[in-house]
Amino acid sequence: MKQFILLFLISFANLVHAQNKLTINGYVKDASNGEALIGATVYVKEISNGVITNVYGFYSITLDPGDYTVNYSYVGYTTNSQTVTLTKNQEINIDLVAESEELDEVVVTAEREQANVENMEMSTNKLDIRTILKVPSFMGEADVFRSIMLLPGVSTVGEGASGFNVRGGSVGQNLVLLDEAPVYNSSHLFGFFSVFNPDAVKDTKLYKGAIPSRYGGRLASLLDVRMKEGNSKEFEANGGIGSLFSRLAIEAPIVKDKSSFIIAARRSYIDVLARPFVPLLKEGGALNFYDLTLKTNYTFNRKNKLYASGYFGRDVFLFDANQGFSWGNTTGTLRWNHLFNERLFSNMTFVYSNYDYKLQFGEDDRDSFKWNSSISNFILKPQFTYFINSNNEIDFGGEAIYYSFEPANAVGVSNGDAIDISLDRKYNLETALYVGNRQTINDVLSVEYGLRFSHFQSYGPGKSFQFNDTIPGLRRTPVGFEEFKKGESIVDYNNWEPRASFRIQSSPTSSVKGSYNRMVQYLHLISNTTASNPLDVWAPSSKMIKPEVGQQFTLGYFKDLGAERTYEISVEGYYRATENQIDYIDGAELLINEFLEGELLNGKGRAYGVETYLQKKKGRFTGWISYTLGRTELKVNGINRGEWYPTRYDQLHNLKIAAFYDINERWSVSSDFVYVTGTPTTFPTSRFVMQDILIPYNSNGSRSNVRLPGYNRLDVSFRLEGKTMRRGKERKNTDYWVFSLYNVYGRKNPFSIYFSQRDERTPQGTPINSQATQLSIIGTVVPSISYNFRF
Amino acid sequence: MKKQLSTFFRISVSMLVVSILLSSCEDEISPELEKADPILVIDAWLTDQPGNQVITITETQPYFDNTLPPGISGATVSVIDDLGNTFLFQEDAAMKGNYVWTPVSNEVIGTIGQTYTLRVVHENETFVSSSRMGRVPVIDSLTFTFEEKTSILPEMYVAEFWAKDFTGPNDTYRIKTWKNGVLLNKPSELNLAYDAGFSAGGNFDGVIFATPIRQGVNPFDEDENDEFLSPYVPGDSIYVEIHSITLAAFNFLSEVAIQTDRPGGFSELFATPLSNVSTNIFNENPNGKAVLGFFNVAAVSALGKKFEE
Repeated sequence: MKQFILLFLISFANLVHAQNKLTINGYVKDASNGEALIGATVYVKEISNGVITNVYGFYSITLDPGDYTVNYSYVGYTTNSQTVTLTKNQEINIDLVAESEELDEVVVTAEREQANVENMEMSTNKLDIRTILKVPSFMGEADVFRSIMLLPGVSTVGEGASGFNVRGGSVGQNLVLLDEAPVYNSSHLFGFFSVFNPDAVKDTKLYKGAIPSRYGGRLASLLDVRMKEGNSKEFEANGGIGSLFSRLAIEAPIVKDKSSFIIAARRSYIDVLARPFVPLLKEGGALNFYDLTLKTNYTFNRKNKLYASGYFGRDVFLFDANQGFSWGNTTGTLRWNHLFNERLFSNMTFVYSNYDYKLQFGEDDRDSFKWNSSISNFILKPQFTYFINSNNEIDFGGEAIYYSFEPANAVGVSNGDAIDISLDRKYNLETALYVGNRQTINDVLSVEYGLRFSHFQSYGPGKSFQFNDTIPGLRRTPVGFEEFKKGESIVDYNNWEPRASFRIQSSPTSSVKGSYNRMVQYLHLISNTTASNPLDVWAPSSKMIKPEVGQQFTLGYFKDLGAERTYEISVEGYYRATENQIDYIDGAELLINEFLEGELLNGKGRAYGVETYLQKKKGRFTGWISYTLGRTELKVNGINRGEWYPTRYDQLHNLKIAAFYDINERWSVSSDFVYVTGTPTTFPTSRFVMQDILIPYNSNGSRSNVRLPGYNRLDVSFRLEGKTMRRGKERKNTDYWVFSLYNVYGRKNPFSIYFSQRDERTPQGTPINSQATQLSIIGTVVPSISYNFRF
Repeated sequence: MKKQLSTFFRISVSMLVVSILLSSCEDEISPELEKADPILVIDAWLTDQPGNQVITITETQPYFDNTLPPGISGATVSVIDDLGNTFLFQEDAAMKGNYVWTPVSNEVIGTIGQTYTLRVVHENETFVSSSRMGRVPVIDSLTFTFEEKTSILPEMYVAEFWAKDFTGPNDTYRIKTWKNGVLLNKPSELNLAYDAGFSAGGNFDGVIFATPIRQGVNPFDEDENDEFLSPYVPGDSIYVEIHSITLAAFNFLSEVAIQTDRPGGFSELFATPLSNVSTNIFNENPNGKAVLGFFNVAAVSALGKKFEE
C-alpha cells in the first residue's frame, strides 16, 4: 500500500514537471470507412518511444518542443509518417489506408508486428475480425467463440456448453462486455454460437491476467468486445446466407464524417425450413434465435463525441403455441467522449443490461406453469485518462452498478387456482474507484500499477435467512430470518484490489513480463449441471454467500524469431488462488429455491498452468500452435472428504492448432485441430435397490473420481473469393463462399456418461438391469456452406 | 420441480433439437469402475395398512452386477413407538433378508403424529433411525379424460386422482400407482408432492394437487415402434395410494429421482453429475460400519377404480 502511494506521488511529481512540455493528440482511423483504429501505434522516432491509441482511437503524447518524426502504424495498414515541428500543442488526426489484400496478409492474432514482445500487456489476446472470419466455422458461420476457443488457456467442457472457461475459471468468472455492457449469457443455441454478430464486431480482446484496474468484478477473465461505429464515409452492406441462419448488416454515414450508424441482424431459420417435415413445428413449435445489433455516433466537435449502441437477442424453443422456453440478453450503452484538454481524455458511460429466461407449460389457463427469471442492471462509469508525458499515462475513474435480481417469478395454476411461488427480488449496488498508471521507466523496464477499491451492498426490501449448523455436506435447513425494510442495508463488503505488472525488454526481440492481480467477484453464477446452461441463475453476494476473491500471478517470456520476425513464441505461467469459491452439496436444488443458500458450500480454489504458444505470422502459410498444461481444483469442507478435487472443467492438456494457407488468389484453406483432456465426472462404484428403484452409489464418497475420454476434433474450411473483375471491369462488390466440415473424422466426443436402470418395467422381485450411456452431442461430421457478400 | 422440468425438457427440447438440427448420439458402454466393499442397505418403508409389514436388509453390489441384491440374515429388527410399544420384525425363513412383522388381529403400526424409532442390530453394530407419521388427505375420486391426438402423443385416456392438500404448510407425500395390479415403479414414475406443489417455499398449500402430480399416475409406455401408448384403455384398472412421508423422505426421493430418472439426449444438458443420495439410517457408533437405508412410516389413503367406458 505504502509503495503504491509512493509510486503515485512520483508520477504526480512528473506531472508537475511536465508543465512546460507540448502535446500532440488526435484520432487514428481507417481511411476507407472512418472506423477508429484501436491499439494503433504512434511511434516517435527521436525518443524511441510511443503510445497506442485507446478504444476510441484517441492518442496523446507529450514531448519537449522540437522536430519529430511520428509514425502511425496498424497491422494490415500502410504506415503513415509525419514530420512535426512542435512549437505549440498540435492535433493530428490520421486516416490510415489498408494495404491491398495481398497474399502475405497477416491474419493472426497479433495486433501488430512485435506486439507481444514490446507491448506492455501480457496474458491478453486480441482477435481482429479478419482472423475470426478465417477460423473454420460450425455450420459455415464465423463466430467470435470459435476463435477464442483456439487460444491458449481457453477451453470448454464440450459441445452444448454455454460460455467458456479461462485458465481454470468457471464460466461465471468471465466478464463479457459488449460495448461496455455486461452480457450475462454470451451464447446462442447452447454454446454453438456467441451472441456477437461478426458483421458488427470491430475488435475483441481477451484478458486472461494482468487486468488493468479500470476493470473488475470477475475473477478469471475479461472479454472486451467492441462494436463497429458504422461507416462514416459511404454506404456499406455486409451479409451472408448460410445453412443455419442469414445475416445482414447495413452501415452508412448520417452526416458525412460526423455521424454514422450500423444496424446488423441475424436470424436462424432451420425451423422454417423444417416446418413441412416436422409435425411439431406445424403446430406452432419453433426453434430459432435472432439478434439485432445497433450503433450510432455523433461528433459534436473535436472535444465531444457521443456513441449509442444496443443489442437485443433471443433464443426461442417453442413446443407448441403456448409451451416453451426462451432466453436472451438486452443491452444499451450510451457513451460520451469529452476532451478536457490535449492530455485529459474522458469518457462517461451509461449502460443498461438485462438477461432473462422464460418457461411456460400447461395445456390451458386452468392448468399452467409460467416461470421467468432475470438479472438487470444500470451502470454509470466515468473514466479519465491523463497523458502526462511520453512515459506516463494515468487512468482513473469509477463505476457504479445497480443490480436487480429476479431469481424466480413463477405462477402455477392448478385446476383454476393460481399459486404464486415467486421468490423475492434482490437489490444490490456495486461501486468502485480506481487509479492506474502505465509508466516507462527506461528502455528496458516498463511497469503498470494500479489500485481498485470496490464496495458491494445488498439492501432491502428483503429477507436474510439463518441456517442450522450441520455436518458439512448435508443440506442446511433454515431456522429463521431477519427482515429488512426498503433501502435498509442487509450486508456490505469492501475490498482493495491491487494490480501490477512489469515488462523487461531483455533484447530487441525478447521480453520478460510478470503481473499480479487481486480480483473480487460479487456475483455468482449458480450452476451444478455438467455444463453451464441458459437456466443458470446469477446470485448476488449475501450474508451467507461471501464475495469470491482471486489472486493471480503470471510470468511470461516472449520472443520473436526469424530475420523478419516471422515467428513469435511465448511461454506464460500462471497461478491463481481463490477464496470463497462456490460449490454445491450433493443433490442441491438450485432452481426456484428460497433457501438456496442452504445448498451451497464454499471453499478454496487453485488453478495453475503453463501456456505455450508458437505462431507463424507471415507468408502464405500462417497459423499457430497453442498448448496449455493446467490444473484447476477445489477444496471444500463437506465435499470429497475435504480433500482437493478437480473442478468440472479441469482439463490437464489443451492443445490447439490453427493453420491457414492461401492456395491461390481465390482459394484459401483453413483448418484447426483441438485436443483436450476429458473433463472429470463421478462414476458410481456400487448399486443398491430401494423401493424397487436401482440407485447408483459411490461408496468411496469421492467427487470427480474419473475422466471422460479425451476430446479431439479436426475442422477444415475452404474459402472461395468471388471474382474481382467482371467483363473486364473491377467489381464494386466483393463476395465469397465458405465450405466447411466440422468434426471431419466424425468423432463421437462424449459430453457425458450417465448411469441408469434400463427403461423397462421390472416386476417386483426380479433383478433390475443397469446400464451406462455415453452421450455425444455431435456424433458425425457436419458439412455446411455459406455465401457472404459485401457491397 | 426438477423432475417436472426434466420431463418437460425431455419432450420439448430433445425432440425438437434432435429431430431438426443435430445428430446427438448415445452409445451403451461398459466402463471400468472403482472397486468398493459392500455396504449394508436397509429398506424400511412401513405403512399403517393392515397386514404384514416388511423391512429388507441387503448389501450394495458392484454397479453392473445385474442380480438380485443379496439378502442379509441374522439381524434383530424392531420398531418402537412413542408409547414404548415394540413391534418385532422376524426374519422370513423363505426369503433371505426379509424381516416381517405380522399383526395380531386388527393391529396396525401407525398413529398420525407419533414418532417411531427403528433399531437394527447386526454383527454387534446398531443402526437407528426415526420417523414421524404425517397426515394424509383422502382421495375424492379418480377420473379418466379423453385427449385428442397431438404431434407427439396419440389419442389417449389420461387418468387423474383428485385430492386436496391439508391447509397448513410442510405436508409431504408420495403417490404410488398400480395399473392392473402392477406398481408403476420406473424412476420417471416417482410422484412426489410438497403440499399441493413440488417444493418447499412454494406456498402451494391447502389446494388440489397440481396437474403434473394429479396426472403423475399415468404410465407413458411405448410399443415396439417407440410410439406412445394410451396410458389407460377401457377395461384397465387403476389403484392409487397417497403416502404421507417425512421431509427427509421427500428430499431423499427427490434426490433419487434426479439420480435415476435419466431420459438422456439433450436433457443431459440440464442434468447434474452423479452424486450420492442422503439416507436417514445411521450407525449409533459414528466410527462403526457404514450403512445406507431409509426409514419412513406412512399413513396411507387409497382409492381404486375400473375404467369402464
